[in-house]
Order: sequence, then C-alpha cells, then structure tokens
Amino acid sequence: MRNYFPLLLMFVVVAATVGAIIVLSAVLGPKRRGKVKDSPFECGFQPFQLPTDRFFVRFYLIAMLFILFDIEVVFLFPWAVVFKALGWAGFWSIFIFIFVLGAGYVYAWRKGAFQWE
Amino acid sequence: MEALLKLLSDNVAGYGSLASPLQYLLPMVLASLCCIALVALFPIVAVYAERKVAAHMQDRLGPMRVGGWHGWAQTIADGIKLLLKEDIIPSEADRVLFKLAPLVVFAGGFASLVVLPFGASVIVSDLNIGVLYVVAISSLGVVGIIMAGWASNNKYALFGGMRAAAQIVSYEIPAVMAILTVVIPVGSLSTQEIVRAQEGGWLGIGNWFIFKPVTAVAFLVYYLASLAEVNRTPFDIPEAESELVAGYHTEYSGMRFAFFMLAEYVNMFVVSAIGATLFLGGWNSPVFGGPVAFMLKSVALVFVQFWLRWTLPRLRVDQLMYVSWKVLLPASFVLVILAGALAVR
Amino acid sequence: MDGSLALEIPQIFPEIALSVFGIAILLLDTFLPKSKRHAATGIALAAIALTAVFTLGLVGEDGTFFSGMIVVDGFSIFLRITFLVVGALTVLASSSYATRENLAVGEFQALVLFAIVGMNLMAASNELIMIFLGLETLSIASYILLGIKRSDAKSNEAALKYFLLGSFSSAFMLYGIALAYGATRTTNLEAIGREIAAGSAGMTLIYVAVGLLFVGFGFKVAVVPFHVWTPDVYEGAPTPISAFMSVGPKAAGFAVLVRVLMVAFPAAYAKWLGLVWLSAVLTMFVGNCVALVQSNIKRMLAYSSIAHAGYILVAVATRNQEGVAALLFYTLTYALMNIGAFTIVSLVSRQGDRKTYLDDYAGLGFKQPGLAAALSIFLLSLAGIPLTAGFAGKFFIFRAALESKFVWLAIIGVLNSAISVYYYLRVIVVMYMKEAPDDWSPVAMSSSAIAVIALSVLGILQFGIFPDMLISLARSSVIGYR
Repeated sequence: MRNYFPLLLMFVVVAATVGAIIVLSAVLGPKRRGKVKDSPFECGFQPFQLPTDRFFVRFYLIAMLFILFDIEVVFLFPWAVVFKALGWAGFWSIFIFIFVLGAGYVYAWRKGAFQWE
Repeated sequence: MEALLKLLSDNVAGYGSLASPLQYLLPMVLASLCCIALVALFPIVAVYAERKVAAHMQDRLGPMRVGGWHGWAQTIADGIKLLLKEDIIPSEADRVLFKLAPLVVFAGGFASLVVLPFGASVIVSDLNIGVLYVVAISSLGVVGIIMAGWASNNKYALFGGMRAAAQIVSYEIPAVMAILTVVIPVGSLSTQEIVRAQEGGWLGIGNWFIFKPVTAVAFLVYYLASLAEVNRTPFDIPEAESELVAGYHTEYSGMRFAFFMLAEYVNMFVVSAIGATLFLGGWNSPVFGGPVAFMLKSVALVFVQFWLRWTLPRLRVDQLMYVSWKVLLPASFVLVILAGALAVR
Repeated sequence: MDGSLALEIPQIFPEIALSVFGIAILLLDTFLPKSKRHAATGIALAAIALTAVFTLGLVGEDGTFFSGMIVVDGFSIFLRITFLVVGALTVLASSSYATRENLAVGEFQALVLFAIVGMNLMAASNELIMIFLGLETLSIASYILLGIKRSDAKSNEAALKYFLLGSFSSAFMLYGIALAYGATRTTNLEAIGREIAAGSAGMTLIYVAVGLLFVGFGFKVAVVPFHVWTPDVYEGAPTPISAFMSVGPKAAGFAVLVRVLMVAFPAAYAKWLGLVWLSAVLTMFVGNCVALVQSNIKRMLAYSSIAHAGYILVAVATRNQEGVAALLFYTLTYALMNIGAFTIVSLVSRQGDRKTYLDDYAGLGFKQPGLAAALSIFLLSLAGIPLTAGFAGKFFIFRAALESKFVWLAIIGVLNSAISVYYYLRVIVVMYMKEAPDDWSPVAMSSSAIAVIALSVLGILQFGIFPDMLISLARSSVIGYR
C-alpha cells in the first residue's frame, strides 16, 4: 500500500496548486460581466441552436462497441502477466477467446457497425 | 522515491533523526514538486518549440521579439497574460461541472507521471500495475472533456466533447492491445521491469522492443493511437477550428483555458514517455543511460508529433473511425496473438 | 488450465457444439446473399442434432468436472435433451415465422442456440456462479429475441420490460449468491450443503439467501408474486419466442431451483417449504382465475403458463425423487403442448401478429379442421384431460404430492385444473360453435410449422397414452437425488 501513498499526495498537491492558481487569476483578473458576454459563444450572430437536440446514434454505438472490446482487453491483462507460466495451454485458451471476439468483430463489421456514414 | 530518501539521509546531516513519517513524507513532497515543476516547465518549452518548429517548417521565423533572443520569453508572457484574463463562466453553464472539468483533465494527465521511469531508481512510485494504471488513469481525461463539453451548454463545445470522447475511446483499444504485446514477453506490468527487460543486446539497443518483429509493428499502432488519444493532428477533429471553433473548450477563458492547454501538452509528453518506456528501452542507452536518455527519447517522440502536425492534413470523422476500427483494431488482435505465440515456450 | 482439465472438455461438448454453430450461423448470415439466408434453419437443426448425440454420449459418465463446477448426472442429461427438443421445435416454428415477418433468420436461430447453451449450463451447473452465468447467457439471448421485431412497438415493450425486470431479478439473485457465499465461504452447491450440515454457517444469512435466490428464480419461472411481466411480454413477443419463453427458461429455472434447494439448502427445508407452498397455491389460483377473463389468446396462454408454473412448484415442494421425476416429465410434455399451441396461434395470427383474439378463431373448426383439431388436442392436454400427456403429468405430480402428505396442495391443484378447463374449452367452443366471419382469409401453412404441430401432437398422445416409458426414464434420471 505504501506505493500508492505518493499517488494520494500527488493529487493533493495538484489540487492545491490548481486551486491556488485559479484563486490567483480570479484576484488578478478583471470582472466585467455583461449579458452578451455571458451568453453561449457564437460566431458573431445570435445563437440559433442549443445543444438540446438528439444526438447522432453512432456515438452511442461507438460507446457500446468500446465497452465490449474494452472489457475483453481487461481480461487480457492478467493473462498477459502470467502468460509464461501458462504455456501453450494458456496460449490456446486465449486464442479461442480472441477468436470468438474476432467472430463478433467480423459480425459487427459486416453489419456496418463501424461505418460512420 | 527510495533513491531520494537515500540521497537525503546520506547527505543531509541529522535526517535520520527526524520522525519516521516525516522521513517518508519529505521525499514524497519533493517528488511531487518535481513533477509539478516538470508539468509547468515542459509546456512552456514545448509550446515555444512547437511554434518555432512550425514556423521553420513553413519557412517563417515564428515568435522573435519577446525577451530578446529569438523570442524565448514568448510563452512565459502568454502564461502571464492568461493569468491576468477574466475567468468567464457563461450564464447558461452548469457551474460546478464547468469549474471542475479543467481540473479533471489536468489531473488525468498529471497522475500518469507517477509511474514514468525516468531512471533506474528515479521514479515516484514503482507500482506493480504501472502500465494498467496509466491506461486507467489517462482515461480520466475523457470524463473531463465530456464534462467540459456538457457543462458549457454550447453546441460547439458539446459536439467537440462528444467527438473527442468517441475518438479517444475508439483508439484506446488498439493502444492498449499494442501495450499488451510488450507486457506478454516481459510478464510484468511494472514500468521498471519493462525497461529492465530491454537492457543490453546488440550495441546496447538490440533488446529494445522497437527492434523486435512483432513489437515494432505494435509501436506503430501505439504511436498512431496515442496521437488520436491526445487529439493531435491528423486526429484533431474534436477541436477542428473550421467547424467547431475550439471544440470542448470553446467557452473557457483565462486560467481554466490554460489548464486545458497544459493538459494537452502534458498528455503529449506522457504518451511519448510511455512509448519510450515500452518500445525504446526507457532509460537504457548504449552511451549514457538514466534520466537524460529517457527525456531525450520522449522529447524526440514529442518532436515527431509536432512534425506530423505541420505535415499532415486533418482526417475526416469517417476516415478516423475507419483507421481505428477497421485497421488498427484487427491489426492489434493479430499482434497480440503473434506476441503470445512468440513468447510461449 | 492443466492437462486434466483439458481431458474434461468432452463433458461440455454439447455446449461447445451449440456455441460454435451459433457463431458460425451469425457469421454465415452476414456473408450469404439474402435469398440464401434461410439456410440458418438447417444449420441450427443440424447443430441441435449433433448436440443431442454429444449429450447422449454423456450418459453414464456421472460425476463433477471442472473443479466441481459442472455436474453430469441423469437429471442434467434429461434436461439438456428437453432443452434440445424445445430448441428444435422453436427453430422449426420460427423459420417460417421469420420469413413471414421479414426478420433476420440467421440471428434468430443463432440466438436460440445461444439460449439453449445458457439453459444447458444452468441445468449442468453445480455452482452458484456458473448458474448465474448460464442464466445471463439465456437472459441476454432472450432479451434480444423478444425485441427482434425492431419496428414493432409491442415487441420492443416486451423486450424492455423483460430486460428491466430480468436485470432486477438477477440483482436479487446475485445478492442471494453473495449472502450464501458469505455464510459458507463457497459457491459450490454440495459444499454449501456440507457447510450447513456441519453447522458452521450462520442460518439467518442462509435463510435470507434462500429467499433472495427464490425471488431471482421466481422471476424467471414466473411464479406469483413475481409473474407480472409475463402477460405483456408473451403478448408482445414474436409468437415462437413466446412459446420458447414459456417453456425453455421456465424448465431451466425450475431445474436450477430444484438443484439449489435440494443440494445446497436441504437443511433450510422447513423454511423454504413454506415459501414454495404459498407461492405454488397463489400461482395456481392467480394464473387460472385471471386466465378466465382474457380475450387475447396470447395473454390467456401467458396466464395459463403461470398456472402451470404453480403445478410444477407443487412438484418442487414434495422434495422427493418421485416429485423431481414428475417435474422432469411435466416440463418436457408441457413444452410439447405449449409450443404446439403457440405455433398454431402464430399461424392464425397472420402477418403482423394481429389476429390473436378469441373471435379470430370463430369457425376455424369448419374452415381448417386439421388445424383446429390439433389446437384442440393441445388445449385439452393443457387442461389435463385423460389420454393426453397433460393428464399424465398432473397425475404424477399430484401423486407425488400425496405421497409426501401434501394433501391440501394436491386438492388445490386438482381444483385449479378444473377451473382451467373452462378457459381452454372456451377456445374450442369458439372454434366449433361459431360461424367464421365473412372476410375469412385462410391460414397459411408451412411445412416446418406442420412438422412442429405433428411432432407435438404425436408426443402428447404417445406420452399421454403410454406415459410409462418417459416417466420410468425420468425416474431413473433422478436416482441419487435426495
């Protein structure tokens, strides 16, 4: 556990530094508010579309695919570490695992899940 | 950490007589401050360097005035200017998330420094899950980016944030798989172990993973994916100026904007340093080892990032997804299998 | 994995074969041109046949494998065969259905295969975690199957409802598993039984765990008070999937319930008996009484399936070999009659699954006598009229209940059977005593649907008139069961 203590300390130091800088800039910087200044940014005209519309479904698809593959990759980590101790049996087990994953991948490809347009 | 502790107790008279928690705390604080210094200094140098590199690639001079010699003080002046700027929070924004987002992005990049092996014993903490830790903690940036995009309540910011998230998660999988090809032959996730596995060999560089068949390709995959993960050209669609203004940080100003910039450059350094650790032998070098070699390799990789930025045009979104899902991902599957087949005995 | 584990792989050949074929169908489907995609049905049937061969090859290889995770015994083999029968009938029934409704045949059949894998694993698991994995494999496949009619609002509703309640019940079950593990330091069923017998487990935790597990399985098998999803889901689902859902997951859920209660928690019998008893009575009454007032056939069959879950719970309550044998007999024969009935419902409902009301059956007995006769046989069997398998099944269950001195359960069961006759006969009355509407359009038949109906009718009559063979097989399957 002692290895992780520097991590915690690091976060504390970062938070303190960032906080100090933000406060400093708030003290030093000007504060002149205005209705137009506080409105959402737009390139020189009235904002005409707020981000409340529905999103392109592709984003959700990408998110789901990511979750799928990321979980598989997480499975590979412990395998990779103890890989040498497992020998060929470990290799073939993971080969089958990746093969099944690959089958899912080919299926997703053929179904057009990776097609952005 | 331990090395710093030894250094202090050997050279500072009476250090051993301090209370034992303090004995440990002091080097930790020192190490953290070193990291902060690196994080503060690196972007200053890197931004200046990038502007100069860009200028000279385009046959210009770049900043020349501030500070006299070749405009060396330009970024420092920029930093002070940002510090003195007003911190604007749009009235429609989600104030808590808006304020928190730069911090999260910054902390994500910063926390990865803990496990970077600058030298044989120059490391803040040699975690036994080092590489996994980097992979996990660097994903924190995506959360911050989405937070920023959402909290701004601005269509450009939201689109930028969503695109950034889609891009980063798409490229994370090939990147992680490429990292695995190194973990397999080494059999450890500790960054120090991985560097030690690359000691020696032909000319002192023969054991570097970039000179081995499978991992050489993996390095390419990793480097491409890491470019996309830090939103650098040719993968800088999330902040494509021509259509999305500045992407997820459109609404940010002053120091909060500066933290996004800092985070970007810190992340550039981190992915390059990880690349150097995994594939370029870390602090190993035939001539002089240690932190200098490590920094040189990392900076060299950062330079390649500059180079690519000023050479390549930006990809379209569909091309971006194509590269990730249809090229890099299957390639990395094959690489992992090959790496396993080669390492098994 | 060491060498000895590799040697145990043949024990899960059935599941491996199904998975490989399922994946193959999925991939093939994406590469074949649209006109050749119905090949998936043939491949799925071949996969099921091959799996049946593998499964029968396991006969006599009793024991536990993979560090006690998988158990091979007569019980699991009998159930695996039941699931394969269910799967084969579903595949057959859905092939023409999928064509009619313009669904993706390949995905449909592959998902049915994956669902069978899940059920098989549930039946063959000797371990709470494995049971959960099997259950999830089954559930995920069924979530997709329920919603496979993507443009149909009711199908989506069914999928979402089942998904939400299913994940909810999974959470209950996981909590139960966690508590059982906390009390006994193991998830192996036999080891849990030993720990409890040795008195080294906290009984309060065990009781709560049993209760939570019962909630989890109760959702899957739809017993009162965890049945509320059933009518909506069965009504909205593609009809062959309604049939599948009403028999496959139900049989698997009961198999696991029996195994968990009898192997892991015999010591808590006094407690879970009350739970099962009450639930059985409630399930029978609620299912039958609500079915009386349904005008939609699919909803009526849904409530009827709830009622049948009640009868099967009676078999669980007996906790003896005879009861378990009766349960095996019942689940198999119930599968035949329910799939048969749902297949006819699916045919009569025409394209779009629209004509599912009682009135739509008016005059069917004159217009298409064969179809009406088959449906009558299925309904009579569901009602438990003698000479049908339904009667034999109920007879075995109630006899087991009487042998275990559950006189009241048996009486309530018989009473409920009497109630159920009313709503089953109502359909037959409508078919034969009412005029067909003027705009009658003939029911389109397909060879695969005819095959399903014929097989089901044959099975029902065979096991109804000569139940000895099947029940003695079931009895010999449960030897060794407490």
